[in-house]
Amino acid sequence: MMSVEAIRPEANDATAVGAFRTFWGQFRKNRLGMLGAVLVVLIAAIAIFAPLIVTHDPIRIMVGPRLAAPSLDFLLGTDQLGRDTFSRTILGSRIPLFVAFASLGSSLAVGLVLGLIAGFGPRWLDNLLLLFFDTIRSFPSIIFALALIALLGPSLASVILVIAITSMPIYARVVRTQTEGLRNSEYIAAERSMGAGTTRILAVHILPNVLGPLVILVSMDVPAVIAVEAGLSFLGMGVRPPTPDWGAILNDGYSYIDQTPWLVFAGGVPIVLATLGFTFLGEALREIFDPKLRKDL
Amino acid sequence: MNYYQGSVSRRNFLKTTSVIGGGIVAAGMPLSSAIWAAEGKVLTAASTNDITKMDPQFYTAVSEVSVMECLYSKLTRFKPGSEWGWELEAAEKLEQVDPTHVRFRLKKGIKFTGDYGELTAKDVKFSFERGIKHNSPVKDNWGSLDHVEIEDDYTGVIVLKTPFMPLFNIAFPYAVGHIVSEAAVMKATKDGGDFGMKPPAFSGPYVLAEYKPNQHLLLTRNPEWAGSKPGFDEIRVVLIGDTKTAERAYQAGDIDFTGITLDSLAKFKSNPPADTKIEGHPSLNYHWIGMNVDHPKLKDINVRKAIQWAINVPQILEAAFAGQAEVATGTIPPGLLGHREKALVPPEGDLEKAKEFLETAGVSDLNLTIDCLNESLFLTIAQTVQAQLSQIGITVEINAQDAGSFWTLGMESEGDRWKDMQLTVMWFSNLPDPFYATGSFLQSRVGIWNWERFRSERFDELSAKGVTISDPNERAKIYQEMQDLMEESGAYRFLTHGGNPVMYRTTHTQAVTRPDGYPLYVDFKAV
Repeated sequence: MMSVEAIRPEANDATAVGAFRTFWGQFRKNRLGMLGAVLVVLIAAIAIFAPLIVTHDPIRIMVGPRLAAPSLDFLLGTDQLGRDTFSRTILGSRIPLFVAFASLGSSLAVGLVLGLIAGFGPRWLDNLLLLFFDTIRSFPSIIFALALIALLGPSLASVILVIAITSMPIYARVVRTQTEGLRNSEYIAAERSMGAGTTRILAVHILPNVLGPLVILVSMDVPAVIAVEAGLSFLGMGVRPPTPDWGAILNDGYSYIDQTPWLVFAGGVPIVLATLGFTFLGEALREIFDPKLRKDL
Repeated sequence: MNYYQGSVSRRNFLKTTSVIGGGIVAAGMPLSSAIWAAEGKVLTAASTNDITKMDPQFYTAVSEVSVMECLYSKLTRFKPGSEWGWELEAAEKLEQVDPTHVRFRLKKGIKFTGDYGELTAKDVKFSFERGIKHNSPVKDNWGSLDHVEIEDDYTGVIVLKTPFMPLFNIAFPYAVGHIVSEAAVMKATKDGGDFGMKPPAFSGPYVLAEYKPNQHLLLTRNPEWAGSKPGFDEIRVVLIGDTKTAERAYQAGDIDFTGITLDSLAKFKSNPPADTKIEGHPSLNYHWIGMNVDHPKLKDINVRKAIQWAINVPQILEAAFAGQAEVATGTIPPGLLGHREKALVPPEGDLEKAKEFLETAGVSDLNLTIDCLNESLFLTIAQTVQAQLSQIGITVEINAQDAGSFWTLGMESEGDRWKDMQLTVMWFSNLPDPFYATGSFLQSRVGIWNWERFRSERFDELSAKGVTISDPNERAKIYQEMQDLMEESGAYRFLTHGGNPVMYRTTHTQAVTRPDGYPLYVDFKAV
């Protein structure tokens, strides 16, 4: 687990602009980090502007040109139902990103609250919550995902729920550990003696200190979530047809790889680029924010 | 049977191979023959349907029957080749005494494994009667069977309540015709009921040595088998849910025999994998879109008819079968007695007519679900139907399910999921008798295999009559009318009979199949 220096906000005399300049100065030196950032921005832009980029209706079936090779009409060819692969790939970028942000966002929010409670609350509650986190973590995540989806039925909501549930304990544990370390620090004791309430201490003094590692963790988890989402869709347990999705395109590509290799490229390459982009970005952030990895220290 | 999980470490492997190698050298055997002897002749075949039953009276799929044929004996069997017919197997003689009596005489010397003795008429009686006694879901395969009379150890008479024409084409040579040991089954199950995947004794050329659910079955030679020796020492049936995946496995060299999709047939024919023979076989199977008439959204026949008319069958066949399959007119394929020349609803349908039916029903903004197997073929069919129904304002959500989940969907014995079932992409295997292609849709089969919950008194009457009539023309008319009734109910949109092309590695085996392409593993020759 990474450790982050406890920073007392009041004691930090650097301005926000100054901090950003310092960060940017370090970040731009990290070539892989920059590449990751470019990829992430590019994929995010494609996802946001997808309806403006697509050349065909991505769910329109055209039996005539099925499994067609790339051409000016169909930039990445067509799938087994004659649907334009380029348009499906472009629009398919929305699902993994949406799943990543929705699932990690919700697990982050819940993990943060539960972690703060566990770290700052009474010992019995801490033990109870730890037991709860460990119980969830004790299930192999993929098996847990398959079981939950079998129970709930395959859908986007199921995928988000599965990822949110399985990710939450990690965030909660990190927050809990950070909070526990900070609660006995001198400046928190000083705040207490000055009459600050628990809510103020948590919100003003502890939260800013635990957010940093969490952001890094989340950025590192995004590629994993994209891969899990694509994997579940590949297995037919993710989004339902005809919604375009990289995992589903990859599955179609696998089935028809002999007739056309383009579907595999169309589904596989974006997954690789997205996971690499987020991984590079996450690694770069970690290197900058984790004092143990800082090269200039 | 062994259910084991082995582990091989690199160290153990090297130790074992060095000992074997030393032994071989000491024995003076040429290395190539030693390897052959050690490995034996192994056939690895793909089964693209799930295998969940080895009890003949409770079978669920044709893929199970292909394995059962290796494990048990039966009075007759389907002849291999391109023409449907049957020949004697365990029976030395089979004689139709009169329309309701069939006398059989068994060959002597067919042994059950595990000291359960010789296969006798008593075992035949037990085997044939137990499906009815235990209310098997496939007991209809026995039609009007009343009982079996034993005359002596090897002779018996099968007594029917009324004539049952499919006896020779369905019951004897197929699944329920397999004979099990009474003593072994009673010992294993106490009441003679379903023994699932744990056969207590075998009487065929192979025994089931290992079964790993969702992975494979391993058949090894039955040491007590006295009949002609089958070609392979071992048969490994690998369970691969999707035929497209099986094609990949074949290309990777993992299997020696597999069915292939019609979609891939042209490609494999023009560019076959090395040392491979591709064979096309006409299929008797039938595919259709089913509608649950008991579901509130589909109760109105006008809604069902709207769906029937909105579905463009040739378009589906183009998308899902690469245009290689013919349109079906019903459940009975061309060439079989009872085949209809054309369906009541034209294959292309008519969107305007579909909209009219929907207007008559007074339905708008209809949302439906369609359940299908999670395989590329069925997903493609479902997605095409989804697109076609959207043209008349029906929104369809696809529920793709694994085989285990899908094939219990409409069964009342498996829960209440049938109540939510609306549209389904269905397919059934078939046999060369029209009874088999219609028998699943009787009122008595509602909630078993009749998932559309179609009910027709007239249909049941015709079915009862159809199995008793020997005149082929009269019989054909009966089955044609039955298919008309099915279609008129609006619960069915018939798609195709598909096709059953197969491919196999000629350097390893000479495959032998039924006329419809299903493997007869016992007859496979090792090359």
